[in-house]
Amino acid sequence: MNISFDFWIWIGAFLSLCIFSFLYKDNPFYKFAEHLFVGVTNGYFLTFTVHRVLVPNLFKPLFEGKLWLIISFVVGALYVARFIPKVSWLVRIPIAITIGYYTGASIPAVIQTDIIRQIQGTILTPQNFQAWHAGTMGVVWSIILFIGVLCTLSYFYFSKEHKGVLGVTSKIGIIFIMIGFGAAFGYTVMARISLLIGRLQFLLGDWLGIIK
Amino acid sequence: MKKKFPLLLVLILGIIGIIPYYLPHSAVQNADNFLRNDFLRIISTFAIVLGLGSLMKVHYDKIRRHRANFQYSYVLIISFAITSIIGLFGGVEGDLFLPTRIGSFQFDLQTLYTNIIVPLGSTMFALLAFFMASASYRAFRARSLESSLLLGAAFIIMIGVLPLGDKISPHLPSFAQWIMDIPNVASKRGISFGIALGAVATSLKIILGIERSWLGGGK
Amino acid sequence: MKLLDYLTKLDRRVIYLILAIVVILPLVFPSTQKVRVMTPVQRLFNTVEMIPDEKILIIDFDYDPQTQPELEPMAIALLRHAFKRRIKMAALSLYVQPLGLAKLAMDQVIEEFNSEATTTADSIIYGKDYVFLGWQPPPIIPLLGMGISISDVYKTDYYGYKTDSLPMMKNVKNFNDVGLLISISGASAPLWWITYSQTKYGVAVGAGVTAVSASDFYAYFQTGQFSGLMIGMKGGAEYEELIETELKIQQRRKASEALGSLTAAHITIIIFIIIGNVGYFVRRRK
Repeated sequence: MNISFDFWIWIGAFLSLCIFSFLYKDNPFYKFAEHLFVGVTNGYFLTFTVHRVLVPNLFKPLFEGKLWLIISFVVGALYVARFIPKVSWLVRIPIAITIGYYTGASIPAVIQTDIIRQIQGTILTPQNFQAWHAGTMGVVWSIILFIGVLCTLSYFYFSKEHKGVLGVTSKIGIIFIMIGFGAAFGYTVMARISLLIGRLQFLLGDWLGIIK
Repeated sequence: MKKKFPLLLVLILGIIGIIPYYLPHSAVQNADNFLRNDFLRIISTFAIVLGLGSLMKVHYDKIRRHRANFQYSYVLIISFAITSIIGLFGGVEGDLFLPTRIGSFQFDLQTLYTNIIVPLGSTMFALLAFFMASASYRAFRARSLESSLLLGAAFIIMIGVLPLGDKISPHLPSFAQWIMDIPNVASKRGISFGIALGAVATSLKIILGIERSWLGGGK
Repeated sequence: MKLLDYLTKLDRRVIYLILAIVVILPLVFPSTQKVRVMTPVQRLFNTVEMIPDEKILIIDFDYDPQTQPELEPMAIALLRHAFKRRIKMAALSLYVQPLGLAKLAMDQVIEEFNSEATTTADSIIYGKDYVFLGWQPPPIIPLLGMGISISDVYKTDYYGYKTDSLPMMKNVKNFNDVGLLISISGASAPLWWITYSQTKYGVAVGAGVTAVSASDFYAYFQTGQFSGLMIGMKGGAEYEELIETELKIQQRRKASEALGSLTAAHITIIIFIIIGNVGYFVRRRK
């Protein structure tokens, strides 16, 4: 055992234990740690916003003569209007600009990435058969994938009662969906345990020195 | 004016966002780049005023009205103020005029990050391991064929992806990989088609002014 | 029957305690586990190996403290790979919270390499071998802007230096000079890179993601939109295995060390689920 004598390691360990104390029940230590987290994180956020975004992209160029940035500054500053009841509607202007550009830019990108490319990956083509590196089995896997996608889609088709052909396809669809959810759950277990391991590696290693 | 002008802006900016995908001419691309870097970036960054302002307002009100657990709001506001002072006047790298070191004791922004934000953030998520274990024990039941399939797939993944799976049978990791590659992709793709179409439809509704919830309340 | 009754009505704190013990024991008494490398990780490794000399690797550090244990080993393994092969590397984050972790990971790996270096030529030097571009919000600015000009998006780097002034950036203008971009993220950042940057500029993208979101990413790997994929702690361990066996890098393997605990915890949770189900069926039959 090689316990740490670093002040900050002890702070980190104390704060970790404050959060772990929630496992017993909600308590003042947990609440303290929770509020500290929000406070420090926002201070960190503010620092980078000022020093690495606003200074090099707004204030410095503005003083160098790029006067059109005054427009960005004024429009951005309208966010303050949110706290002045009489003119609070003005906050909609910067929000409209941001949302408008974002949604506009997302439409062609999402269509290409999530629809067209996914259809290309599903249809039965020689290129897709080779995607699995399984020789002749690649054809079989591609066919199963193709059927799986169609059946999953049919499960979410609610404009017609799930009877007859649709009944069969939606039944197959739910099998695929459940296997998919099961796989996701299996990986979720791995993810959550990994996070616990990471914290224990810190407490048992960096702090207590029990493990290397 | 209070609603129509923002709706008109959304329409115009929405179209401006779409155009560069279909007009690769350098003039269009450069104009788009200029708009993003010199306008959109600055405007979006100021959203921090809204976020931090709202956060401080909530906690200031909590203290003023002595609401339940208001003492912790002091912790939040004070820790925010101290970190901001250290960051703004001490600099990102402790390179500005406020000293961030006394002898060998450092308290610069990165030190606060490493020893406060990191342990708190990561322990909060480490708690989930315990909740997940407890929930699995209480709620995960093989009541039907569907839930049995879910459980079966979960078990195969949980064992198959780890070295233990390889020890049990070399086919087990391959089978776990197959589950991820085929049934998982099939189901996720079927679901994501719906999500993507929904996202595109919602985006169009926002640009065309049909979806207006972002305007918030008021006139 | 009494035992079954007891087992099916365990207090949540008992479950917590059992889980803590099974995770701690393999950490205290570690055993080596042979890691089998699966196709998605192997492909990512191969893609990094094939980055041409004149192009750079971009690593998007988009994991925050909440997902650090899963994703940091991937980042460290990738950095070791890049520096060992002398691939020029630029780091960035789409969000502010990962910045500090990115710096920690880079500082650690650079220290590993520079402590073994005997000459300046052997050393990893900032501005010449790697740059840390930092963070520029909102994410759409780098996602689309880097296709036109990286230095317009990042006027200054993380440290406040002018990006243009860094020697490495003299030959790096935009995505045309990027051989591969790997996004290590606890959220959707890798999807954004393919949605915006790849769709418009064709940049090759690899991903390192948390196990929670793994199932969402496979569909994009199958279509070739991701050049490779690392999933969770196991993905990190696989990459660690590759850089040890292929590149002979002998350093601490944090993800591989965790596999014993991961295995014990998985078995415990499976047992919990089985006990819960046995109790349920016995009660239902009664």
